[in-house]
Amino acid sequence: MNAIVALIPVSIALLVVGGIALFWAVDHGQFDDMETPGLLPLEDDATGAESGAGE
Amino acid sequence: MRAEAAGACWHCGEALPPGNAVLAVVAAVPHPVCCPGCRAAAEWIDALGLSDYYRLRSATAARAPDHARIAGDAAAWARPEAARQAIRELDGGRCEVLLAIDGMRCAACGWLIERAVGALPGVASVEVNAAARRARITGDRDRLALPAIVDTLGRAGYRALPLDARVLDDARRQESRQAMKRLAVAGFGAMQAMMYAAALYFGDVQRMDTTTRDLFRWLGLLVATPVVFYSARPFFAGAWRSLAARRLGMDVPVALAVALIYAASLVEAVSGGAAVYFDSVAMFVFLLLAGRYLEMRARHRTAELADALALHSPVFADRVETDGSLVRVAAFELRPGDRVQVAEGATVPADGTLAGGECTVDEALVSGEPVAVRKREGDALLAGSIVVDGPARLCAQRTGADTMLSGIVTLAARAAASKPRLAHEGELAAARFVARVLALAAVTALAWSLVDPPRAFAAVLAVLVVSCPCAFALAVPAALTRALGVLARKRVLVVDPDSIEALARATHVLLDKTGTLTEPRVALDDAHTRAGVDPAAALSLAAALARASSHPIARAVAAAAGREVAPAANVRVDAGAGISGTVGGVPMRLGHAAYAIAGRRRRAEAGTIDPSLDDALVLADADGIVAAFRVAEQPRLGVREAIDALTGAGIAVSIASGDSPARVERLADELGIGRWEAALTPQAKLARLERLRAEGARVVAVGDGINDAPLLAGADVGVAIGSGTDLARASGGIVLVDSRLGDLVEARAIARETLARIAQNRRWALVWNAAAVPLAALGFVPPWLAAAGMSASSLAVVLNALRIGRREGARAGIGRSVTSRRRSGLAAKASPA
Repeated sequence: MNAIVALIPVSIALLVVGGIALFWAVDHGQFDDMETPGLLPLEDDATGAESGAGE
Repeated sequence: MRAEAAGACWHCGEALPPGNAVLAVVAAVPHPVCCPGCRAAAEWIDALGLSDYYRLRSATAARAPDHARIAGDAAAWARPEAARQAIRELDGGRCEVLLAIDGMRCAACGWLIERAVGALPGVASVEVNAAARRARITGDRDRLALPAIVDTLGRAGYRALPLDARVLDDARRQESRQAMKRLAVAGFGAMQAMMYAAALYFGDVQRMDTTTRDLFRWLGLLVATPVVFYSARPFFAGAWRSLAARRLGMDVPVALAVALIYAASLVEAVSGGAAVYFDSVAMFVFLLLAGRYLEMRARHRTAELADALALHSPVFADRVETDGSLVRVAAFELRPGDRVQVAEGATVPADGTLAGGECTVDEALVSGEPVAVRKREGDALLAGSIVVDGPARLCAQRTGADTMLSGIVTLAARAAASKPRLAHEGELAAARFVARVLALAAVTALAWSLVDPPRAFAAVLAVLVVSCPCAFALAVPAALTRALGVLARKRVLVVDPDSIEALARATHVLLDKTGTLTEPRVALDDAHTRAGVDPAAALSLAAALARASSHPIARAVAAAAGREVAPAANVRVDAGAGISGTVGGVPMRLGHAAYAIAGRRRRAEAGTIDPSLDDALVLADADGIVAAFRVAEQPRLGVREAIDALTGAGIAVSIASGDSPARVERLADELGIGRWEAALTPQAKLARLERLRAEGARVVAVGDGINDAPLLAGADVGVAIGSGTDLARASGGIVLVDSRLGDLVEARAIARETLARIAQNRRWALVWNAAAVPLAALGFVPPWLAAAGMSASSLAVVLNALRIGRREGARAGIGRSVTSRRRSGLAAKASPA
């Protein structure tokens, strides 16, 4: 019983943190475009990739 | 890494002309490319330090257009009038531009655009949406230069069109973000509430002590409260609006049920009563919101069609001033009565009449008719058509938002804004149902308060929960979402979800002829072909040039020649006019007669062109005409089978064509279509449609040109052929991406199955309620059973909807990966008209 009393507030706190993070992400456009990022290979480092560019 | 096809252009992937010597140096390695345009684009991309694009991309680029043409466009955006229209001022000295981008083939294009534009001075952020093919750029108000952005993209091979700042889709973005947040809160809340409720249900069985029970009840209240007060707000707002307007909208019963269950549970929790239903109310809100969210996404997707139209609409015009000089102005600045000069190969900027002289106009974009049309003084010219041999003088009559082209855009926008009727009907059914349940709950309350007052409250709550209309509300969205997904995999895009219902109930199919039932076929015109030229050789020469273009006639020429194609070099496509290049060492030109013979050595001898060559395709070299081709038409592949299948299903098939009666009759006989009408104007087509509908018919119209647009928009279901004009695609509710009429037959089968499943789901929900509600009213249903039953009935509805298209899916081998589908979808949309 003690475990529950301790864990329930923890779970609710986590829920609130998750909710705040999600709201932040939505407000910063992370969910505006659900298609493009999924299509794009994970590749941001242009300098590191340069070596592989010469096919 | 991609396998480089031997002999393909490094940039655009098209076949290299043999003997080609154009090399592009990218990352210090020379690569063969097909034309100077592609070389310039590839080297520009390399100069920007973005040659990684070639490694990242999953589809080849679009063929790069001639830079000279884009340069004019870019410069014109420097005009303050044009810039004011496109740039929106934000606070803090910033501004914002929205671009529609033509030529995007895969997500790597988005990567390239973000970096290329992001490196320009004054640009703060670039967001590219590859699916919508739009880019949103924000930057410093004083330093952001629109011409530089358009020019940079133009050099890299993309055509960028700054969209009207007023259409910035802020409202839409706001709506989508809000919906996302509300859905997430409802989802989290429902999950947690369900967990606490489960503890309560087990507690009922295992004799939980009152303190623990109350703790879990308060926890349930804690998580359900944001769901009711935040997530469910649209329902309350909607209910308030309809009550204020003295109507009983569908939000009213939903809001009432949510409020009642929540308030009752609150009272129970405070007074330590029999049961709380925080889980049910949270779940109810979550499921309803999920349905609305899916519907909203479908509604928002229509924006792409409007963009495609905008990209093909003329942006600038050369206005003739009173002193005879030309001024380049934005097309929206034109006024009726203005005189406009349209250069050779340029797009007509407004609807109007031809003032003086003659010209040939390619109306392929507007009418779907691939053969260029000869216009005489006083003839009507439509905005969006291309002048083949110019310049032409135009007297503008309808400009800006009044042109036929804009009319279609408006129509598409209006269609997008209207709510799907089918989903509407589903919510209405749910609303009626809730109203009845509320009445029943009132009766239950009355009855119990007479018999055994302490039990009344629990029984009323059980009735409200066990009858939860989720199953009703979910029946339509679940089935529709599944059907749209299945159809998209079969390469049938449903723009307007309403079409599903109408397609399933269709009784008549009205078909356009040119472009829908037939495709162009080329045949040699012996009379004008030079003596001694073998027909096959002539075709092979023409095909060498035609391969470079995607115009319907060019494709027909290439297809007719088959593999017998002569090698060509220095091929250049002049949009709307023709193609020139060197075939077998001889410079040749293919296109409209006037274009083709323009390359003759002795110009003085030109004289007049034989008028019978007006609608022919001509191949000429320095000595004059080599061969002439007539463009005829042949039925598309699979059309006959599709028509047989439709007729077999008891659907009346008829042709409504603008073509001459003799040709229509011939085709109708060949395809076994009994009913046909010919020589119809767009208005007459629409009148024909309305007559049919007045007789109670449900009509599916299939077409591809703008002349079919009113028909497509007016029909119960408008079906646009994928290879048709963008205008037709915007007015149709369904687009057959692969241009196969057979897909329509399959789509109809799926649509019928969808309606059957919806009806099944509704019956199921009804049976469930008929069985459970009386038991609940009599007080026999404990809370855990009520909640479990509600979830089970919702689950049953969703699972049943997922069965749509199962059997056909297995047979047709729905195995294509998601990415390849999206990619090909993008490529299909990106193909120029």
